[in-house]
Amino acid sequence: MKLIENNNLVNSLCEITNAATSAALNAVMASLASRHGVRSAAYLGAGMSGASNREPYLAVTYSPNWVEHYKDRGYVKIDPVIQTGMRRLLPLDWDEFGKLEGALKTFFGEAAEFGLGRRGLTIPVHGRRGDRALFSVTSDLSEREWEQEKIEYMRDFQLLAVHLHDKVLELEGEPVLRAKLTPRELECLQWISDGKTAWECSVILGLSEHTVRCYLESCRYKLNASSNTHAVSIAYQTGLFSQIV
Amino acid sequence: MIMTIESIDRQKHPVLIDQMFRMRAEVFSSRLGWEVSVNDGRETDRFDDEDPLYLMSVNDETGVLRGAVRLLPTTGPYMLRDVFSVLVPGGAPESPLIWESSRFAINPRVFSVAERAEANHIVHKTTLELLCGIVEVCRSAGIDHVVSVFDARMARIFRAADCPYEVIGTPTRIGKTMTYAGVFEMTDTMRSRLGAVGDLPSTVLAGPSRQPEEGLAERHVA
Repeated sequence: MKLIENNNLVNSLCEITNAATSAALNAVMASLASRHGVRSAAYLGAGMSGASNREPYLAVTYSPNWVEHYKDRGYVKIDPVIQTGMRRLLPLDWDEFGKLEGALKTFFGEAAEFGLGRRGLTIPVHGRRGDRALFSVTSDLSEREWEQEKIEYMRDFQLLAVHLHDKVLELEGEPVLRAKLTPRELECLQWISDGKTAWECSVILGLSEHTVRCYLESCRYKLNASSNTHAVSIAYQTGLFSQIV
Repeated sequence: MIMTIESIDRQKHPVLIDQMFRMRAEVFSSRLGWEVSVNDGRETDRFDDEDPLYLMSVNDETGVLRGAVRLLPTTGPYMLRDVFSVLVPGGAPESPLIWESSRFAINPRVFSVAERAEANHIVHKTTLELLCGIVEVCRSAGIDHVVSVFDARMARIFRAADCPYEVIGTPTRIGKTMTYAGVFEMTDTMRSRLGAVGDLPSTVLAGPSRQPEEGLAERHVA
């Protein structure tokens, strides 16, 4: 089961990496939603290019009718996900909005009519240059199932959110220059490429296993890799290992 | 009780936020002599403008701030990479699953009035409550690791709290004190361990109902 889940994440991250156009990214959103078992998936990015007056970047699986209706009604002004999410760090569970009244009740009621799930989760993304993004998924799971699944998939959603954001920055002509691997990170990855486990790395390098995992996590992100294996193959392709004597 | 305060909710907690910035001025400028910028008795820096998350240890009965800490994601601007890069000459870690904690402080006001033994107890308890809060918040957000920059004094506090960490990069003397970058694991094991030391077995985080707004009646976003 765990393996299948990880494959889901790996596949989604690969698809995001391979998306070469905005249209392709929209298709990725749809396949991502179905792969991760959510009713809808949405990405909204803002503050890119330093141009604050620019329209936010949108990649959603919502029906075009909902997007149009949302714009017509000027819902961005009341949408609590956007109003609060852009200035948050913690994932936002839409249940936090509590009992809905007035305009908000109408808003979420209409959203459901247009096919959004009853429950939602939004992951805020903080970029290097003040750029921000929100990655939202919705679901129709029962409250109990939702609480469980949410925790189980939180890491995946965090990773998907940032990878989507970095892809959008790239499509917008402002690619993120990922930092170089540190000597320690490279060393851990080298041992992984030799077939060692994180635990074995930790023994060899005299570190805790947890610290090795932290280095590897940083490696994966900096190399835009979806897994350790992927990171190793990127390191070979780009000649990173040849730097080690 | 630990309150988690997001940037968007700052205006709901004006008194606590103000107490925190004053406490930071007292701790980091007056007591520790760090070169931080203090205006009107309050210490803030540019990372406070990056919509960080604040964890605040608050006395349940009096509402007085006992201590606070700040969390930032390593995908955005953060202190180790952008201010203390000297500690990590090979480069700083970066990932959506790694956050940074900074400005960890215990309010001197809450223990200055108490007996020495009692003061030590309050410091110890508040430290553990904040550390438990960090782990709980990170677990809920899917965050696996926290990095932090700290000095020898904080290192002693972590040891007293039985809070394990591993130094990354190269410890360096900055000003008068040795300064370290460390990584902490955000696992259930870590939470149990801290909970055992601090006698804090159940969640330290205030639920939404126990996180009342200050002053005016509750207002809804609309």
